[in-house]
Amino acid sequence: MNLKAKSALFAVLFMCISAFAQENLTIKGKVVSSLDNMGLPGVNVLVSGTSNGTSTDFDGNYQISAKEGDLLQFSFVGFVTKSIKVTNKTTIDTSLEEDTNKLEEVVVVGYGSRKKSDITGAVSSVTADELNAFPVLDAAQALQGRAAGVVVQSNNGGEPGAPINIKIRGNTSISANSSPLIVVDGFVGASMPQANDIKSLEVLKDASATAIYGSRGSNGVVLVTTKKGKSGKLSIELNTTYAIQNTANRLDLLNADEFAAYQQDVNNNIAITSGETPAIYTQGNANTDWQDLIYTSGSTVNHQLSFSGGSEKINFYASGNYFKQDGILINSGFERTTFLSNIDAQVSDKLKLGLNLFGSRGSKDGVATQSDGSVTVGGDDVISLAMRFAPDKGVYNADGSFTTNDAVGDEVDNPYAVASQRVDETVTDNFRANFYANYELLEGLAFKTTFGLSTENDTRGVYQPSTLQITAGGVGGRARVTNSQRTNILSENYLTYNKEIGKGDLTLLAGYSYQKTKTDVFAAAGTGFISDAFSYHALGTASGLLQPDSYLNVTEIQSQFGRVNYDYDDKYLITATVRRDGASNFAANNKYAIFPSGAIGWKMSNEDFLADSETISNLKLRASYGVTGNPSISPYQSLARFSSIYASSNGETTFAISPEQPANPDLKWESSYQANFGVDLGLLDNRITLSLDYYNIDTKDLILGNNGIPEYFGFLNDAILTNLGEINNRGFEVSLNTRNITNDNFSWTTDFNFSKNKNEVVSLINDADLFGDAAPSYFSVDDNYILRVGEEVGLFWGYEYAGVYQGGAVPAGTATLANGVAGDPLFRDIDDNGSITDDDRKAIGNPNPDYTFGITNNFSYKNFDLSIFFQGSQGGDIFNLTDVQLNNGDANTTRDYYNSAWTPTNTNTNSPRVGNNSNREISSRFVEDGSYIRLKNIAIGYNLPSDVVEKIGLDNLRITLSAQNLLTITDYSGLDPEVNYFGASGSNNTSANTVQGFDFGNYPTVKSVNLSLNVKF
Amino acid sequence: MKAYKYLFLLFVSLGIVSCSDLEEDPVGLLASPDDFFQTTDNIQTAVNGSLTHAINEKFWGRKLSVALMLRSDMVDLASNETRRVENNELTTLANNGMISEFWLKTYQGIAAANQAIKGAESVNVPAEAKNPVTAQAYFARAFYYFHLVRQFGDIPYISEALTPDNTAQMGTIGKTSAEQVYENIIADLQFAKTWLPNTQASRAIPSKAAASSYLALVYLTMAGTNDTANFQKAFDEAQDVILNKGVYNLDLDPDFQNLFNADVIDSSIEPIFALDYNNFEAPDNAYDQIAPMTGIRGDDRNSGGGWSVAVPSLEVYTTWNAQDYRRAVSLDDGASINGNLELYTNFTVSGHQFAKNRPYIAKYTRFPGAFARGNARATSHNYSMMRYAEVLLIAAEAAVEINEPEFARTYLNEVRSRARMGGTTLSSGVEVTVTGSAEPADHTGTVTANDVLEERRLELAFEGKRWYDIVRRQLGATAFGASGLEGVKPDFSPNDYLMPLPADELARNPNLLPNNPGY
Repeated sequence: MNLKAKSALFAVLFMCISAFAQENLTIKGKVVSSLDNMGLPGVNVLVSGTSNGTSTDFDGNYQISAKEGDLLQFSFVGFVTKSIKVTNKTTIDTSLEEDTNKLEEVVVVGYGSRKKSDITGAVSSVTADELNAFPVLDAAQALQGRAAGVVVQSNNGGEPGAPINIKIRGNTSISANSSPLIVVDGFVGASMPQANDIKSLEVLKDASATAIYGSRGSNGVVLVTTKKGKSGKLSIELNTTYAIQNTANRLDLLNADEFAAYQQDVNNNIAITSGETPAIYTQGNANTDWQDLIYTSGSTVNHQLSFSGGSEKINFYASGNYFKQDGILINSGFERTTFLSNIDAQVSDKLKLGLNLFGSRGSKDGVATQSDGSVTVGGDDVISLAMRFAPDKGVYNADGSFTTNDAVGDEVDNPYAVASQRVDETVTDNFRANFYANYELLEGLAFKTTFGLSTENDTRGVYQPSTLQITAGGVGGRARVTNSQRTNILSENYLTYNKEIGKGDLTLLAGYSYQKTKTDVFAAAGTGFISDAFSYHALGTASGLLQPDSYLNVTEIQSQFGRVNYDYDDKYLITATVRRDGASNFAANNKYAIFPSGAIGWKMSNEDFLADSETISNLKLRASYGVTGNPSISPYQSLARFSSIYASSNGETTFAISPEQPANPDLKWESSYQANFGVDLGLLDNRITLSLDYYNIDTKDLILGNNGIPEYFGFLNDAILTNLGEINNRGFEVSLNTRNITNDNFSWTTDFNFSKNKNEVVSLINDADLFGDAAPSYFSVDDNYILRVGEEVGLFWGYEYAGVYQGGAVPAGTATLANGVAGDPLFRDIDDNGSITDDDRKAIGNPNPDYTFGITNNFSYKNFDLSIFFQGSQGGDIFNLTDVQLNNGDANTTRDYYNSAWTPTNTNTNSPRVGNNSNREISSRFVEDGSYIRLKNIAIGYNLPSDVVEKIGLDNLRITLSAQNLLTITDYSGLDPEVNYFGASGSNNTSANTVQGFDFGNYPTVKSVNLSLNVKF
Repeated sequence: MKAYKYLFLLFVSLGIVSCSDLEEDPVGLLASPDDFFQTTDNIQTAVNGSLTHAINEKFWGRKLSVALMLRSDMVDLASNETRRVENNELTTLANNGMISEFWLKTYQGIAAANQAIKGAESVNVPAEAKNPVTAQAYFARAFYYFHLVRQFGDIPYISEALTPDNTAQMGTIGKTSAEQVYENIIADLQFAKTWLPNTQASRAIPSKAAASSYLALVYLTMAGTNDTANFQKAFDEAQDVILNKGVYNLDLDPDFQNLFNADVIDSSIEPIFALDYNNFEAPDNAYDQIAPMTGIRGDDRNSGGGWSVAVPSLEVYTTWNAQDYRRAVSLDDGASINGNLELYTNFTVSGHQFAKNRPYIAKYTRFPGAFARGNARATSHNYSMMRYAEVLLIAAEAAVEINEPEFARTYLNEVRSRARMGGTTLSSGVEVTVTGSAEPADHTGTVTANDVLEERRLELAFEGKRWYDIVRRQLGATAFGASGLEGVKPDFSPNDYLMPLPADELARNPNLLPNNPGY
């Protein structure tokens, strides 16, 4: 607490004592917050122009003497000060409005907090209101479209419990994780609390803000603060939401008759090429709409009950939350129970203690989607199966067994069988406890120590029953259980010193941190069970054992960090930070890293020449530069290593080893050098606030699999890592908030944010192109995206489609694939050698959007309010892998393709003949514009009038009706433009940087309608 | 007093976090290869690692075995996948997606063998105790390089384990000539022959017989069409195996079908060296996919039939003596599809776009064993890389060339006589007993090299041998000419005898340039 604040407090106390009576009226009343109609304790009530004042009690009640004609002034930190003239009434109730002039807002930064007006870095704040605008399972989902520079995407569309990917200011790496560091109430690397428990969420974007997190800061940091109790009476809040959900979109596929005709056409066309007699397609005896069978109507319920309150010395917040979602895909769902408790105690004048406790259990019923194709040619992927599978097949054979796709294409189980029979359950338990003690050693010097422990226990059981003939029939069922246990211990100790020196205000921070993370994983699996009813719970009865696995990863990181904030005359701001990280996972020759940053700010509006401006109420310029690191080295990644592989010897399973990774003692972390320039502008008493930020991030020493090392070394390239490669992200962010109309009865505000990020590969190993595959493995696609110096990351790579070959002479500069006949696709023959080979491939699309934006309009009229939130993305391409598969002839197809395909009588078309010679070619034919604008949320709320509420003994009652994803404007022909398929080459985290814009087997995005009730009492 | 209490608390909280040295100490990981090798068992473990690479999908599990089949005249392609078409039509490009996969996998096997050999140096027991195990690593290294040198000719030759010290130098080496590679292979096999025991617990563990038989095949390959000295060495080495067949416990299996039956092959005495396929689903594609690749679409067997990719031309069947029991074992000319017994002339009833009305390869799909998964993937079928019949045919071919006609005829006829013995097999999925017949009849006249090569073509059909025979005896002009089994292959040229080194490998180390002629 600085001196100013302290003296203010004394003043208040003094005034309380010194209030004395004149020939006065005794005025009584209650001060409430306009936000929630809750009584506001501690509001300073002053008779204007006198020293006569008091403050409200825990319930917001006050009593003061005043004369008629006096002006009563009500002031409270964070609220707009209000004056009311005393008339002959002796009861003056009033409500204070929250200060939407956010400049005095306090913003949480790493290891402390700052007044928003004193921030020199790029920090976006997201409010609790925005996070709770509609029910979400993961608070990260609610971030989408809310903060400039922050891109949020589900890893799998609308799948309940799908991991949510956050990216701040682009992909700052190629092979390392680009997800930001999550810090919850000071706990580094915590799991996200649920949205209702979050008081505020800050996104630290530039190096000045994140360098205090050193080697883990370069992807940005999300600081989450959970709700705390306030002294005052017990407040109970109940939130209940019911929602129903449906698929937003389905593909228009052929029915059985059309499919049979299509397959015969395919066979006939293949015979034209091969010269053999066409195979005769025999139509099956059913007509099944597989999409109808696997999709259903979903629902969500979310109940939250919280208690908060406290005395002068101790306050608390406790909540319980229950969330349950039944997915729109049969057998998919998520259920979670969460508890949170925060207790803070002012033990003495100098010592404050607190404990945060968090616990949750989540259970996910998964259905396989987005298959990488490695399991029986994609036969585990319900979504793509429903598109591929022959519609002339029924669900069951005559003997009651499930049908398989045995006539067309690869033999796979039917989608209904996979969706209904396969078991995939994940139970995740999270526990976190974080204790802190804050002790004021001297005036202005405080010591804070925190000690925290978190565990995350994750158990996944998968069972493929023998009724799935292709995936598990031959082996009599297959079960796998995987468990991972993660323990995280964190101890942080730091000193904060604050002193005013003349016109200057100095804050110093110095600290030490130690964190140890231990991950223990085991997996066991078997095949051949006595009964499918055992599911995965009877591995002991397996007749065939699959490879078990277990491993232990331990990392330790110990750090020293410091920060200087200096503010001169409330005009000039300087911030400097440094962190030194030593980490066990760093290689032997590079164990320690130092990450510095600096920033300056100039509050121009406080200069004399602007101080009196009517128009410009705030103007601040900011500039920062710093270095941060990416936690890019996995444990033991720099050590020489053998892989253990299972072998067999003389019929016995045995253990064998093979060199997997050579020692790499020089491996370094990846470093981001980031510059940020920003302007904060407030106009017309901050009715209009605007923030502009420009940034430039050079990420160097990128860790790449050394593809410059020949394969005859006998190692996979990605096992030999090297620090080569550089990537650049630069961009521009706009955040505009306006209070368009503010009347007593009607208000209209608009929040708009806009982000433009441009990334560029600056250098690679030998500057050689890097390729990757993002297609199901059975597509047998070699390379379909590319990283090339000078280009953006992850461009699509393939042939340039040049229309349909009409027979006769091949148009100049084009060619068909081998054995092309009329109706087959033509491609640009780049090397002009008359045939289409790998050399004719080029970059055919760019998945990186030009810009993304979000716009929210909030209206309120008396007790009603309306919020309309649009979110969008412009200019990113999508590669439609679904169409690649559906146009291949060996699966069902879209009515659109079948009707438009080339035939000798339908030559004026851009779609090649059915059964053409393309064989799932990767070409620009399947590249589409993925731009979209989406009505992400529309919500109408109604607050019961306060007099009615009080009569029924409540503090507040609010009803909200909202809908998500009602409307999406896009030209994309697939199910949904928010695609995120990783293909055979990647797992979700590591490939997310380079594999972008591919669409295949995504769990569909859902439309949802919610009814919510919020009660406070 | 109070202040001291808090100060005490402060020190306690700091004390929880005593400084760490940040050294990594992995538990359960083999993070220090050099410390691993303590006993001969450890060497065996490393050898097992080397040979396990051979069962991988990227090596014999599919990529190499199928590429070798497609390149030959015995197996045609029923697929339009580019990387397969390039091998079948001999239009292979330097970035062929099959070659790049088995190139790496082969070198992974070599790196593992090199690591085993290096590790053996630090095992502190007498040579007599460890060399019989280390010799398996020499055998494995020779096995892999023998494949490489036949595919590519001159290649980068690595015989050391990778360390931070030799990394830079290894990255810039040039190609080693095929002659030198052969010398190294012979040296490795001779070391192996010297130290390996006569027999092992399993035919998948290299034995003296395996080293000797491979030496015979290496000499035969080096002999090409007219190098009498090497034909003599090949003959001597093969003869040595034949004369010691009692010691080595080798002979022809009386029923040809047993050689292609996962359930009985391990008790047959004919295999000399086999790959040990796991009887479980190993990760990293370390399993067999030959059966589905050669299987019939819509076949009611094997949980989902086959994928119909590698299918012989009809001529393979029609030119094969119908009385030859080996044809009945090697090909399926009938199958049950959708519950109906269908002759091969109606196999396309499955309706699949790549289904063919031709007999399909039966050596892999008929008895894939108990552990096979859907489509007969991931069998536990321990395929023979070298079997006694081949040793007889090596001896016969070499005998022709060194003018020992009696030996040539004797060994050729020994192979034929087994083919006449018949046995118990499946026909259209139904068990049948084929009684002994007169065909193939004994050869009576002067045996020619071509007679032996034709015998190899049938005896070893679809076993990945034919392409190497075409290369070493320069048979392309006939095999891929108008009278060839697959008709004329217009793109064939003698340059195709060598495959291209992967283009990206040459880019990584330009000292490997130029690529083989024609690429």
